Amino acid sequence: MRKFIVALTLMLLAASPLAAQQINLDFPGLADRAEEVVDVTLDATMLRLAAKFLGKEGDEREIRDMINGLSGIYVRSYSFAKDGEYDRAQIERFRSQLGSTWKALVTVRSKTKDNVSIMADMRGERINGLVIIATEPREFTIVNIVGNIDIERLSRLEGEFGIPKISKDGRND
Amino acid sequence: MSLEEDLRRALRRESPAPGFAARVLERIERDGEPATQVRQHSGRTWRAVAASLTLTALLGGWAFTVHQRREGERAREQVLLAMRIAGEKVRYAQQEVRTIGSTD
Repeated sequence: MRKFIVALTLMLLAASPLAAQQINLDFPGLADRAEEVVDVTLDATMLRLAAKFLGKEGDEREIRDMINGLSGIYVRSYSFAKDGEYDRAQIERFRSQLGSTWKALVTVRSKTKDNVSIMADMRGERINGLVIIATEPREFTIVNIVGNIDIERLSRLEGEFGIPKISKDGRND
Repeated sequence: MSLEEDLRRALRRESPAPGFAARVLERIERDGEPATQVRQHSGRTWRAVAASLTLTALLGGWAFTVHQRREGERAREQVLLAMRIAGEKVRYAQQEVRTIGSTD
């Protein structure tokens, strides 16, 4: 019995680095100040449900294959009427949550266009999660994908899929 | 008259009217015995209960299916939106990297 408990404990300790990191995506007060907000929260259960309703052809089929095995997709995007409406320190606080396994894949800095940072949670050769941080003077967007995602396939998705942006008051644009 | 004679007269046996037996048998056939009536009523009641339960289960199942369909469509839209946004940002970054690479 004691050997069993020791073995079980060792197994759990060995498995813990493989577990996906939970990232806090709360930005208090921003939704109230934003002109437009996109808030997507999909855990594994909702992703499996969504997969049943995705089409069998084209980009929807591609997406269905890509989300197979993911544990979650989370998006927070805020657009503001004026420059400087959001505190960049909040973004840095978010970034500080990312542990040592997170590696920067691409960082784009521009004074006139988007700044984009793409980071991956690397466990050996395998990507265990992806974070995309995109900032502009009047908008910032964070995407967190939990699980193994193919970035190349992601970049090949071309369409709008007929999905408009939802404005804060619920109207479709 | 004495009490004894009165009692004797009151308790005297009398034959029933003609057709009495036939009327009783006819009524028995028409209405059934009381125990049979109770069994018929119980059977009808249980069938009604079973039918109500079946209908409730069917309606509940239908409502759940409608709800799940609505949730599924909503989840699908959310996935498409998230992937569109993620794809845009990744493409933008790749494009910038290529642009910088080509000017070097």
